[in-house]
Amino acid sequence: MNYALAAVLLPLLAALLALGWRRYAAWVSWGGTILSLLCAIVALQQVLSDGPQQMLLGNWPTGLAIRWQLSELTALLLLLTTVIHSLVASYSLTSLRRLQVAADFWPLSSLLQMSLSALWLSTDLFNWYVTLELLGLVAVAMVTLSGNKSVAAALRYLLLSLAGSLCYLLGVALLYGQFGVLDVAELATRMPASESHMTTFALVLMTAGLMLKGALWPLHLWLPAAHAVAPAPVSALLSALVVKGPLFILWMLWSQLATVELSHAAAGFFLFAGSMALLTGGWSALRTPYAKVMVAYSTVAQLGYALLAIGLALRSADPAFQLALWLFIIAHALAKTSAFLAVGEMQHSLGGKRVQMLKGASQTMPVAMFALAVAGGSLIGLPPSGGFLAKWQLLLPLWPEWQLWLWLLVIFLGTLLSAAYVFRLVVLAFDRADPVKPDFAPQLLPQWLALVPALLVWGLAFGSHSFVHWLGG
Amino acid sequence: MDFNSWLPLLIVLSSLIPGLLIFTLAEHRTLLRTCLNLSGVVIKLLLVVWMWLGVKAGEDYFFQLPFLPGGPFILHGDALSLQFVMLSSVLWLATTVYAIGYLENSPLRSRFFGYFSLCVSATVGLALSGNLVTFVLFYELLTLATFPLVVHRGTPQSLRAGRRYLAYTISGGVLLLMGAALLHSVAGSPVFMPGGYLSAQLDTQSMALIVAFVLLIAGLGVKAALLPLHGWLPEAMVAPAPVSALLHAVAVVKAGAFGIVRVVYDVFGVEVMQQLDLTWPLVVLASSTILYGSWRALQQQDIKRRLAYSTVSQVSYVTLGVAMLGPVAAIGGLVHLVHQGVMKITLFFCAGNYAETLGIHKVHELNGVGRRMPLSSVAFSLGALGMIGIPPTAGMVSKWYLSMGALEAGFPWVLGVLLMSSALNAAYFLPLLYRIWCLPAAEWPEERRLSDRFETHWMLLLPPVLTGALIVLMGVLAGTDISPLSWTELIVEREFGYVE
Repeated sequence: MNYALAAVLLPLLAALLALGWRRYAAWVSWGGTILSLLCAIVALQQVLSDGPQQMLLGNWPTGLAIRWQLSELTALLLLLTTVIHSLVASYSLTSLRRLQVAADFWPLSSLLQMSLSALWLSTDLFNWYVTLELLGLVAVAMVTLSGNKSVAAALRYLLLSLAGSLCYLLGVALLYGQFGVLDVAELATRMPASESHMTTFALVLMTAGLMLKGALWPLHLWLPAAHAVAPAPVSALLSALVVKGPLFILWMLWSQLATVELSHAAAGFFLFAGSMALLTGGWSALRTPYAKVMVAYSTVAQLGYALLAIGLALRSADPAFQLALWLFIIAHALAKTSAFLAVGEMQHSLGGKRVQMLKGASQTMPVAMFALAVAGGSLIGLPPSGGFLAKWQLLLPLWPEWQLWLWLLVIFLGTLLSAAYVFRLVVLAFDRADPVKPDFAPQLLPQWLALVPALLVWGLAFGSHSFVHWLGG
Repeated sequence: MDFNSWLPLLIVLSSLIPGLLIFTLAEHRTLLRTCLNLSGVVIKLLLVVWMWLGVKAGEDYFFQLPFLPGGPFILHGDALSLQFVMLSSVLWLATTVYAIGYLENSPLRSRFFGYFSLCVSATVGLALSGNLVTFVLFYELLTLATFPLVVHRGTPQSLRAGRRYLAYTISGGVLLLMGAALLHSVAGSPVFMPGGYLSAQLDTQSMALIVAFVLLIAGLGVKAALLPLHGWLPEAMVAPAPVSALLHAVAVVKAGAFGIVRVVYDVFGVEVMQQLDLTWPLVVLASSTILYGSWRALQQQDIKRRLAYSTVSQVSYVTLGVAMLGPVAAIGGLVHLVHQGVMKITLFFCAGNYAETLGIHKVHELNGVGRRMPLSSVAFSLGALGMIGIPPTAGMVSKWYLSMGALEAGFPWVLGVLLMSSALNAAYFLPLLYRIWCLPAAEWPEERRLSDRFETHWMLLLPPVLTGALIVLMGVLAGTDISPLSWTELIVEREFGYVE
């Protein structure tokens, strides 16, 4: 547990140091991230050998203290966070001179990592609110790093994020008023027994807030603008990690606090919203003329898979759906990091924001284009990528039940749409008749760093046994 | 693990590793690239021959790695997989030599040969796949590895063809994945075995099995160019000649046909196929594809497009032979997998030579080319005669077994299909031969001097001459121990427990 705690506190320390010591902000922040990565690895190993651990802050007795818990799942999510942050930080180091705002990027990035890590470890509603609020504010601040052009998108993000937090906080207050506790484990023993309109209302409020912050359909409209306008490393962090926080809380709420009938009803809604996210998000990604907006819409679509998995997991006892949910989160985080970094790199060198700028990219910037294609392969779900593994886990339990075949059709269509928008870019890249000449000589190292997460996600399926073992599939 | 279990993996890696190294090479390192290419080819061929001897003697080659839950990654060298591995390794050798000559001094060769090697690795992996999950993995990888080759020229037409190719193959891949997931949820993903592994589920899950069969055949039918799913193949003709050869003879189309063989014999098995009454739809589908492809080939004036529709028709002979479920028909279908590959690759090499040397693309431009390019034209004629099925070429052997098999399996009307198809084959190939040999030469569209001593660059000439000779040898020596026919009999003996 101490190592997990270190993985949370190291970035905080790094952020403070980076604020005070701006000349070395990059190295301090990068170092903090790498150290926290090591801590997260040790923490995961400890959990695997000794089982889940928990800590009561300040040694107060249970019920009063703030409880932090490290389970296999949270250890894995913590590791994911540190891995993505390390990769993005390494990428940002190599392209440091290009980011005029670099000095502000580093402390914010460390703060983001700290708040998200704290979110995974927390187990009570109010702690989640605090980390969520912090996460949202840092994310907005990071969007504004691109300067004036980002103000409108960032402001909209800020307002909606605050509205979402308020909704969530209201729900928390209602529950606290009724039960007097905030710890989820405590609430789970009391709440389902005394279900009332009030608790249902509280859950619905919290869900709405979380869906707004997590850009889940139909409350996703702020996401493409905000994610597309931010600098590439920021977009990568936002898409890969930040939207996953609310999703995690959503799953915790519905799987633990709701009664069976209520969660079944909610599952119906989540299934519908997930399908719509997959189809409309995929369609928008296919139609948009801008490369980064396309990648951002693909996030909306991919979150649809996660919603489908949540809905199915709430309805069925089959652990495969839960496994699919976490695998989607992990695979999407890695693939999206690669996709955003690669697109950002190409946007910088080739100039222009439109999809057409990728014409001939396979000749001019082969490594970055390869990274985008490989990451796209995981988004489509081609074997042996992590996206494939997640989809496979989702498909298997669907087949034996006739009633669930509708969702098979949705997944089929979603897959075709994702293939269409990914290959739209890839085909352009092979254009040799009318290629786009780079404005700046492409740098090789950042391209390779953009490729690393994509390669990681392609090897994921060969580690499936460990995931099944860790996540109890 | 001993050497025997590593051998299948080594066969896949022997082209994968050179391929990855080639990607990193600078454009001007021609010599090093050629060395890497050829060493990969030769090492692979040696390993394959080793395995061939082993399988003949009854050895078993089995490599396993944990992959999906309940679905390990298995590479398994059995008689059937060796048939395809042998075919693609030998033809890869020919195609590599041809491609080196064809692309001499053209840009982006490192990318081309890198994907070229990846493509063959995926094909060989697909051939060696020991269960359905592994097969799906390599089937998708093959799509991804061939796409850059199809669009290699980067012109608007080739990009359009590439889009079409992806639209077809990715959809097919997703269908195949769905089918594989369904079967996995019903019966897991055990090793392919003669007779299939689904008989236990026959009574309780027959509906699921039928759905799975339809999904799998639809997914595989895209690559095998079965009737409504063949549209990508003629389009993809804009790719460079070695790529067409690869698509038609070595890798893609063959992968689809080979997958159908696996699904029919080693997943469902003869008994289950008969119980579920799945035989005749497949026979009808294959027969109509044969006739339709030949009919469309007759209408094409572009040489490569004519050859492409001819492939649509000829590959369905494999499906037809397999679908009839009789052992003799199976021999015909499986041996045609090899025979069609060798014949079609010869035809594409020659078509490429005509285009490269003289700028000939259309049928009417072929007049009198036999005197200008005699060796290529002899090879082309052998390929064409083989396609029609004239003795003593290899094509005759497969048609003979298919006809006997049709009678044995109780599909006498298939004989009519075969006859009609042969007549159509003659109708679209003989006019070409007449133009090549009998008409006086006209002006060539765009003549280039590629060699002082031969009719064209020697690297373009050698492969079709060798494969042309092979067409005759496979026909003449069909009765001997080293012929594809005798190997096919071995396969059928092991699949059906049948001895002729």
